[in-house]
Amino acid sequence: MSRRRSRISEEEINELISKLQSLVPESRRCGSNRASATKLLKETCNYIKSLQREVDDLSDRLSDLMAGMDNNSAQADIIRSLLSS
Amino acid sequence: MHVTKEFKKKTFLKQLLLGLHVSNSISNPISIQQRKNSIKLSADLAMAFARGRTHWTHALITKLGQKEENKSTLKGILGRRYEILMARYSCPLLYQKVQRRKKSVTSYRFSYNAQKRRSSALKGSCVRVSPSVVARNLENRRTKVLKRLVPGGEFLNGSSLLSEALDYVISLKAQVDMMKSLWRATQVSSSSNVELVPSAPLQKKDASCTIANSEE
Repeated sequence: MSRRRSRISEEEINELISKLQSLVPESRRCGSNRASATKLLKETCNYIKSLQREVDDLSDRLSDLMAGMDNNSAQADIIRSLLSS
Repeated sequence: MHVTKEFKKKTFLKQLLLGLHVSNSISNPISIQQRKNSIKLSADLAMAFARGRTHWTHALITKLGQKEENKSTLKGILGRRYEILMARYSCPLLYQKVQRRKKSVTSYRFSYNAQKRRSSALKGSCVRVSPSVVARNLENRRTKVLKRLVPGGEFLNGSSLLSEALDYVISLKAQVDMMKSLWRATQVSSSSNVELVPSAPLQKKDASCTIANSEE
């Protein structure tokens, strides 16, 4: 029964793998045929970790910026500039 | 398989700005670390709200709500919705469904492991291990790190883990992009009133990425 289940989801898995490969920057360099599952998993994990680190770093920088700002004018400026583009 | 929905950028922005406002207006003298944590919390919450209801957003909000230090910021951001949302995300229905699946997998594996143990008890004979068990153990070992990284991933397996990871990566990337543009806007507005011409093409690229995502 598990064999039947895996046959149905094999296409799904292939689609997911190709999508992951197109997203994760490292695996895009090497040809998609050669990438093994383990390598892709490792690259995905590294990519997630680096993205989380970036969020952390950006929170740091934003908190530094916000510390020296007057609240209301900051909000108005930010919203105005973001909505205008 | 669910189609990856569009990451709602306006929702994210609205939620993040609200969170920043709350972080800034907490009256007690607040340390840089606390403000940073509060901003990070706002960003994660905004990301989860912008994505909508999936397994990982549910797990993320649950995790955020359980931490004691987050409660005051969350109350500030969510206001009257705080009680309702915390009730919903403390007793996740999704988890129950997944746990039921987990139980059947465990019992299936248990019977095979029992068979393996019985066969390995005969010393000298070759151990016949079911290939499906081997494959599953190998898969579990390989996906251990990924399970830890994706919120709610510990309960998922196989294709569902992969699809959640994919979704999570897309949302993380969108979160980073939006925070970068917000930071740039804040920098510019705090220094001078220069027009944001350099970042305009970047915004357009974000918009086209979103359209591409929604067409998939």
